Amino acid sequence: MSRTFAGSPDFPVGAKVSLADPQLRSNLSRATRTIRDKRNLRVSELDTWEELRLAGEAIKREALANLHDLLVTFEKNVTEAGGHVHWAIDAAHAQRIVVELVKATGAQDVVKVKTMTSAEIDLNSALEIEGITAYETDLAELIVQLGDDLPSHIVVPAIHRNRDEVRAIFLEHMSEWGLKAPDDLTNVPSDLAKAARLHLRERFLASRVGVSGANFLVAETGSVAIVESEGNGRMCLTLPQTLISVAGIDKVIPRFEDLDVFFQVLPRSATGERMNPYNSIWTGVTKDDGPQDFHVVLIDNGRSNALSDRVGREALRCIRCAACLNVCPVYERVGGHAYGSVYPGPIGAILTPQLNHVTSDHVAESLPYASTLCGACFDACPVRIDIPKLLVHLRGEVVNAHRSTLPTTQEQVGMRLASWIFGNSSRLRAVASLGAKSKGLLGDRNLALPGWLSGWSRFRGVPVPKSDSFATWWRRERGDDSSSPSSPLHKRSLHRSEHRRSEPHAAGIRAKAPASHVDQVTAREAILSSVRFANRAEATANPVSRSYRRPARAELATPVDLFAERVSDYQATVAFTTNARLPDAINAALVSRGSRSLVFPEGAPRDWLTHFEGTTVIDKGQLELAIINQADAVVTGCTAGIAETGTVVLNSEPDQGRRIITLIPDHHVVIIREDQIVSDVPDVIEHLNPARPQTWISGPSATSDIELSRVEGVHGPRQLDVIIVRG
Amino acid sequence: MRISLFVTCMNNILYPETGQAVVTVLERLGHEVDYIQSQTCCGQMHLNAGYRTEGLDLARDVMASFERADIIVVPSGSCTSTMRHLWRDVAQDENDDQLVADAAEFAPKVFEFTELLVDVLGVTDVGATFERRVTYHPTCHSLRSLRVGDRPLQLLREVRGIELVELPENDSCCGFGGLFAVKNPDTSAAMGLDKIANVLASGAEVLCASDNSCLTHLAALAKKSGSLVPTLNANATPSNTSFEVKHIAEILASTKNGA
Repeated sequence: MSRTFAGSPDFPVGAKVSLADPQLRSNLSRATRTIRDKRNLRVSELDTWEELRLAGEAIKREALANLHDLLVTFEKNVTEAGGHVHWAIDAAHAQRIVVELVKATGAQDVVKVKTMTSAEIDLNSALEIEGITAYETDLAELIVQLGDDLPSHIVVPAIHRNRDEVRAIFLEHMSEWGLKAPDDLTNVPSDLAKAARLHLRERFLASRVGVSGANFLVAETGSVAIVESEGNGRMCLTLPQTLISVAGIDKVIPRFEDLDVFFQVLPRSATGERMNPYNSIWTGVTKDDGPQDFHVVLIDNGRSNALSDRVGREALRCIRCAACLNVCPVYERVGGHAYGSVYPGPIGAILTPQLNHVTSDHVAESLPYASTLCGACFDACPVRIDIPKLLVHLRGEVVNAHRSTLPTTQEQVGMRLASWIFGNSSRLRAVASLGAKSKGLLGDRNLALPGWLSGWSRFRGVPVPKSDSFATWWRRERGDDSSSPSSPLHKRSLHRSEHRRSEPHAAGIRAKAPASHVDQVTAREAILSSVRFANRAEATANPVSRSYRRPARAELATPVDLFAERVSDYQATVAFTTNARLPDAINAALVSRGSRSLVFPEGAPRDWLTHFEGTTVIDKGQLELAIINQADAVVTGCTAGIAETGTVVLNSEPDQGRRIITLIPDHHVVIIREDQIVSDVPDVIEHLNPARPQTWISGPSATSDIELSRVEGVHGPRQLDVIIVRG
Repeated sequence: MRISLFVTCMNNILYPETGQAVVTVLERLGHEVDYIQSQTCCGQMHLNAGYRTEGLDLARDVMASFERADIIVVPSGSCTSTMRHLWRDVAQDENDDQLVADAAEFAPKVFEFTELLVDVLGVTDVGATFERRVTYHPTCHSLRSLRVGDRPLQLLREVRGIELVELPENDSCCGFGGLFAVKNPDTSAAMGLDKIANVLASGAEVLCASDNSCLTHLAALAKKSGSLVPTLNANATPSNTSFEVKHIAEILASTKNGA
């Protein structure tokens, strides 16, 4: 059975275990420093960063405020495009839906794109019970699965492992899951990535069912967007006959154009890249291209409940970039496992207590306290979630849930005593003078405080007053003060609240809803009505400011040079040519990589290949996977290029063909005309057709899953050549 | 200008010298300092720990005590942040609209000590002399809640005789975090030890900050740290073996004649 976080200790205990592991601490320290530096570099390149954050916040606010209508619109558009939408009230319900869908295909296994939502609902265990094997294909998830480990980071689940540990895991466990690791495997990240490619290649080619999450659900078009690096995502989204995407209802965004914000902030925040290698966007089912049986499972699992909390709902803006983990001084020291939750770090500390989670209340209640409230997370958050504010809010919910007339825990007694002492300046002075006197008795000895307070004295000396208090000093030096208010207060609200201390809030940390046995119609109505109820008092959201869309910048009047530079940054090659010499340039690119056989889309100009002497198979939408798999290379056009991020965008136009042909061959040659190159991400949106599948490609496939060091070449094409046609 | 001092409960009991230093500096600059005797505590500890009713009662007391004050100086970044932001946030959590409004009205009167000097009084040279090697730790609340930026450094740079040295990784949290230090002692100590390693690496004789709470944690930890797990901060090579902590107000109050 896959391991889960069930039975984890609460945060202070989990943290203590992690802190005692020097290897873990050094892995984490190195990895979080690396990712922080990369992120800061890429963020500093954009003078629009703060505007993008504001826009990201505004879009997500709007999405949450209109969630009911957006979900209904999304469902309608997916259905019209040939997909199926399912509604899951909680984790158990979502498990059942997915299990039934997989069983209906008769498949004995599924290939999975990395998905947090699947981990949240513990989908792998549910499949396993039914005898269905779930193969994780993301490199970091693979490391975790092979090592029978738990994920410790949202984006890089194996961040707690270094290259030596990864090598050992591959050597020992790959054979249990399929192709064994090469005996001479080294610890070099590129070798480890190569081993993962070999291990999973046949698995992808034979897969019948893919399971993914979703980064964004676009209501307006019914599109689903997934960003990834290795090409394992493209494999799972393209090759199987059946695709099941599980997504929280919080993933919906209103408009296709809103992606121009998230495609800028997400990669920079998550992996510190201008753009991750692959963005896949698809809408329902496309004839002859990709899965012909497509399902989206919309999961509530506590989200509508969180939505009804006016403060807590902010957490639902999260886009799972994990920037807050990477900057968190607590996470950096203790790692993800200490949080005892699928969602670790600062975002986990505010999400976990609000979701119906496998984690116990004991763990969930310790998480809002797993922070010093230092605020680094809020500054890093691309959608401006005020995490410290939410932490304090949830602490209040925890305290209220346990309030009773008489204090029962040491903490409650201590806090009440403190509030009594602080409640009156004479009492405070008396305690201060008592403390000052005790100094004479106690001397400078190391005090051991009792019980709960030993948390302080175990590591630290106990400060005691050295002299009279400031108030006493002031009285002695300056005389009694007459300026304290003697006349009655005129503000009623400033009278103390003893007489109106409120009853504990009913909500508290949310109780787990029992696994519900409801049919689809009921689930849909239940979720939608909870969402509508949660938004009953919600004002209309402010319009999104698009000020981040700068008019074409002067220095980018011809963005071609920047495009070439940025594409090269990804270790792709760039060549310039003219229309007349294009066939020469294509041939040169193919020959230079030793590519002798070619897949070519039917709709691309045949004269591109007049100088190529190898074999060519033309794809009219009919080629078998096995045939495509024999080709060394693929040559296609593209719809657009983005200079700022070095991205080429394929939109399934005739000269680009089906998604599969640009995925399977190891070498991709892309032809782009100068006039197809735009300055920045927002400029490309108008050129795209969301009804057709899109693949945004930024360099060859790559991974940063081993010690955050980027390695080119995993599952997608390992070589990318871009030929720019001038004139 | 008549300035009311909110000394903070911690300074009142444990660090009266910090309050005295604030009085010294402000009076030296020609201002009148007023100390309202009924003041106690802003409620930060209770509010941050989730004890909303207790914390808001303390907040009400402070607002009542300072109802007639025009400008309030606070020698603590975190207490200033509590008074400026947290009161309102928690009053909102408790759906107390009137208190939200009162807290919003109160907030503009409250200034952290270095903010008051630079922004309100418009001075950076406060006539101080301090002939020691000093490093400055920008506490989290000063840095990310109040956004005091380099105001404390502007003030320190004008101090005669001071040798200011940079603190490596200065923007990372010291690990105190109020009740965090008690509820998560192991993590808190690990963070504090890394901060201490950086202070030692800076070569400073004196570590200063705008919050005595962070300094208390670090000093108390440093004193007892002999038996603890070694720090894993790779960047820090200790070039010093001990340091002293001081609130920034005490450095700004110091003169050749005084201390």
